[in-house]
Amino acid sequence: MPRDPRRPLSILIAALGGQGGGVLTEWIVGAADHAGHAVQSTSIPGVAQRTGATTYYIEIAPEPRMAGALDPVFSLYATPGDVDVIIASEWLEAGRTLEMDYASPDRTLLIASTHRLYAIGEKTVPGDGVFPATLVQEAVQKLTRRAITFDALAAARRAQSEVNALLLGALSAAGVLPLPEAAFETAIREGGVAVERNLAGFKAGRELVALGAEAVEPPARPARSWQEIKPERAAALGARGRAFLGLAARAEAEFPQHLHETLGEALARLIDYQDARYAEVLLARVRKIHAVDPDGRLTRNFARRLAVWMSYEDAIRVADLKTRRGRFERIRQENAAKEGAPVVVTDYLKPDLDEMYGLLPASIGRPIARWAERRWPHGRPTLTQAVKTTTVLGFLRVWLLGRLRFLRPRSLRSQRESALMDSWEQAVLAAAALDRDLAWEVAEMASVVKGYGEVRRRLSRALDRFLAETLAPAVEQDRAAGAGWERSARIVRERRQALLTEEQGSNS
Amino acid sequence: MERSFAAEVKQLALGEGQILHGEGILAITKGLLQSGVSYVGGYPGAPVSHLLDVLADANEPLLEPMGVYLDASASEAAAAALLGASINYPMRGAVTWKSIVGTNVAADALSNLASAGVIGGALVVVGDDYGAGASIIQERTHAFALKSSLCLLDPRPTLQNLARMVEEGFGISEASNLPALISLRIRAAHMRGSLVCKNNRRPAISMRDRLTRPSFDYARLCHPPSTYLQEARKFEQRLPSARRYIVEHGLNEVIPGEERGLGIIVQGGLTPTALRALAIVGAADEVGRSRIPLLVLNVVHPLVPEQVLDFLAGKERVLVLEEGMPAFIEQEIKALAYERGLGVGIHGKDTVAVQGEYVPEVVLAALARFLGGEAEHRRAAITGHLGRGREMLHASLPKRPPAFCTGCPERPVFSALKIAQRELGETHVAADIGCHAFATLPPFNMGNTILGYGMGLASASAVAPAFGKRVVSILGDGGFWHSGLTAGVANAVYNTQDSVLVILENFYTSATGQQANPSTGKNFRGDAVRMSIADTIKSLGVSWLRVVNPYKVAETLATIKEAMTTAAGGLKVIIARAECQLERQRRVKPQVAAQLTAGARVETPRFGIDPDVCTGDKSCMRLNGCPSLTLKENPDPLRDDPVAHVDQTCVGCGLCGEVAHAASLCPSFYEVRVVSNAGVWGRAMAGVRRRVIGWLQAA
Repeated sequence: MPRDPRRPLSILIAALGGQGGGVLTEWIVGAADHAGHAVQSTSIPGVAQRTGATTYYIEIAPEPRMAGALDPVFSLYATPGDVDVIIASEWLEAGRTLEMDYASPDRTLLIASTHRLYAIGEKTVPGDGVFPATLVQEAVQKLTRRAITFDALAAARRAQSEVNALLLGALSAAGVLPLPEAAFETAIREGGVAVERNLAGFKAGRELVALGAEAVEPPARPARSWQEIKPERAAALGARGRAFLGLAARAEAEFPQHLHETLGEALARLIDYQDARYAEVLLARVRKIHAVDPDGRLTRNFARRLAVWMSYEDAIRVADLKTRRGRFERIRQENAAKEGAPVVVTDYLKPDLDEMYGLLPASIGRPIARWAERRWPHGRPTLTQAVKTTTVLGFLRVWLLGRLRFLRPRSLRSQRESALMDSWEQAVLAAAALDRDLAWEVAEMASVVKGYGEVRRRLSRALDRFLAETLAPAVEQDRAAGAGWERSARIVRERRQALLTEEQGSNS
Repeated sequence: MERSFAAEVKQLALGEGQILHGEGILAITKGLLQSGVSYVGGYPGAPVSHLLDVLADANEPLLEPMGVYLDASASEAAAAALLGASINYPMRGAVTWKSIVGTNVAADALSNLASAGVIGGALVVVGDDYGAGASIIQERTHAFALKSSLCLLDPRPTLQNLARMVEEGFGISEASNLPALISLRIRAAHMRGSLVCKNNRRPAISMRDRLTRPSFDYARLCHPPSTYLQEARKFEQRLPSARRYIVEHGLNEVIPGEERGLGIIVQGGLTPTALRALAIVGAADEVGRSRIPLLVLNVVHPLVPEQVLDFLAGKERVLVLEEGMPAFIEQEIKALAYERGLGVGIHGKDTVAVQGEYVPEVVLAALARFLGGEAEHRRAAITGHLGRGREMLHASLPKRPPAFCTGCPERPVFSALKIAQRELGETHVAADIGCHAFATLPPFNMGNTILGYGMGLASASAVAPAFGKRVVSILGDGGFWHSGLTAGVANAVYNTQDSVLVILENFYTSATGQQANPSTGKNFRGDAVRMSIADTIKSLGVSWLRVVNPYKVAETLATIKEAMTTAAGGLKVIIARAECQLERQRRVKPQVAAQLTAGARVETPRFGIDPDVCTGDKSCMRLNGCPSLTLKENPDPLRDDPVAHVDQTCVGCGLCGEVAHAASLCPSFYEVRVVSNAGVWGRAMAGVRRRVIGWLQAA
């Protein structure tokens, strides 16, 4: 329903505890006060202020107060469908106002920041539990009269200001409130906190609207071609870059174009991890799959999962990653350390005995493993250490471990990992001979092998058992029934989900 | 304290005709001062926690100079008993607490107070935490007013009317000798508007003008045979006097309307919602002139039969808008109409939702149904889109339950408890009221019962001897001093209960906004008083007592495991002691800023995660749940699940590293300390280190 011009203008603010929703409310109330409009606001902080969702609600008389006239009756609640402006300081919260029916397609202006602060449920589910931003985007388009949406967090960082000041600027520029720009600025000044920062943000918010932030901003990332990325990967590999380019060229000659990027990334990763010979092992395995997979969809997934698996995070890999120059540069940059300012990094490491004897050549490691696994059947002792990797001695300790790559090819760990990879590869090949969807699911099964220490060993054992004890009988049953392989594919998919969820359960 | 009202409090000194801008609680406080109040007190709880903050901030500049005493009441029971001063002496007093729970705690003193009767006005500002966003059990304060014969005011929420009803609350209390409750809903407490002030009145009896002789009157003691007389007085004198006062002072409001056959009777607090809904359906204008007559009850108990009957006279149908159950007002009005043989149809819970908050959509639907015709069409015009949002978003959005703040010292205790249960098997956990109740939510999901403030340990009394493992109870310092000391610890020791009690001592009543409690070291007024939980517990005869630094998770874990497995019987108490991080940051941040400006050496700790080491299994999140521990897109082109990430809001409490060790998580976590103003030697050393490391990295 279009608004009744005499009724107060209604503004609903949806924020998260600690995001400055209260201050934003005070600014708007202050601006209305200055412009001579009767105004009322309210909020529901309660326990919600501890990081939960909070809302604020403001009503402003459409005309300035006149002597002798009665003030409007203000409501303490927003009525769904009777809201003029919704301001949301985070994208999921924008969605929540729509979920609760506050916006109406013929009346409501939505001003929202597109950045995300993840909810606890999104953070704790296995895999990718992030709510799809595009769903909110579609709802915004359909359910509001007008939407001004932009990444207010990024804009605030650019303007060295805060999200709420940006949103206030956008509100002022949108022109739906009968309040002049100067009234908002006065309100910010009277607030008295970080006045210059907030004024800068307010101005930046106004400019964004002037520049046409009107349309819903898609959360797009510029796509780059593999040909652009490849030289960067080579450069990052230093002396081994040439070997990489050579191997990549061979792969590109052998495999169709849509596999080049995946294979290239995989090769770069494994050369970085070990060496070119090790990367060739990947190509050999991928070749077998590609032979039975003409369109390459299965091959791509197989190659991707295999590359991640083959670069399993043993103590050498962790030590190597932890002592790289780029890492320390990233840390200095992320923490805004000034040039010359000392930075102390403490790494929390806790390798267990398995990770140590896993590095030994199989012939020596295996008897130790047999003894240790009998001695401590439920998880081996761990070596707890907090290492200062920015001191020379601390760095050396970790760095030297990272130099032990030469041990890897003949190590016990490598043998165990590649034995399991063999079984998996066999299972993918066997499935590919039957059904491509089934094979894709079996290839995807490799994604369960992750984590460290006992967690990883538990998941590896589970995969091994699944391939031997569950998959084969399921396939046999489908074969006997003769009605396709969907049931088997479903069993694989469900088992994968279950394994990841069980892992969650085991430490829930 | 979470919020300082130092600036707002200045407005409390405003005089006749001046305009105050601020929140509902400020209007209430101004009303108290304009009424000549002698003493105030209360116990914090939303939505009136800030009322106590305002009083605390007003103490030095305003209350003390006027001689008004501020009591940092140890519980609602103590606050209600404070009003005992008004039984014998003509002193006006006001206290505040959260209802229904606070009223429950206060009930004993409140019943006695109501029976004895008061000669000085006695007012309780109850913050009614009811409806969406409420944090407690949903019951009506109204029931207490009925059973104890208290006046119950439910003012129409404007700042002007709140201040007026405080003044009239004292008036009705003195006229009737009954204590009065004034009910403040969440949104009214936080409502911001303006108020035309009057001059403050100095109390006649106060800390500056003291009493000289005690008053003795056996009739005012709650003891037989006085109690029989008191009961008779309630119904023969006090309630009738209250009714007279309501009429003579025009406390209830009639909004006339030309639609003679219809009427609406509404609780004062619901009036703006009702008038807005009437405006939407075209039956009222924007300034509250209505076609349908309304009777606005600023006083919901006692009702004035004559006033109600006058309103009902000649009407065909009347709708009663009364929030919550049971529908006391509706029933009373129906009984009145029946006794007088009126033919009017009285609607209420048959037309409006039975329980739950009367939000606009509920009231709007009821009014449209009650009025029919055009009103239904107008409602349909704004509700056509309802449900589409939910439909378009396919699934309901991820919830945002409240959680421990970044760096909270309570979180590590629950990380340790979770790890301990993983190793020793799960046990019964009796939760309590306070921030620590957030442990019952994701990611900890820990706590089998919540049974009231400070009642956790007592609630485990029968579970402990019947459970195969030692049960664990949780208690905060606020809950300990409120009632956990007696109902919990003393009770458990007396019954030789063999269980584990974890006390989270963070030095404030934090959940309501870091109000002072006996562990803080000072009271609301700023007097230095420190009481020790450890000493108190020892004095009760608990011999197994450990104090841990919760941030040392391995130590806390070992202590919990010891408590769970030791051969020692009886109550085993672990005190996890560390300051509330919000309050700590409030204290430390300005200090750090000052040190930085002064050029002193400052180390800023923060945590980080190596994205290439993190495998994205999220076990860290399930043992932590810190708001600063979040996700980011996986930078790895071959992996797609997001990786863990510590954002800018990290305060470097150290939990991430401690949990990674205690639970043998992944090696992704690291702590960074950026040293500002390191000095010549520090910079030189760092330079040498970087050079040597750089040389190795190039090798």
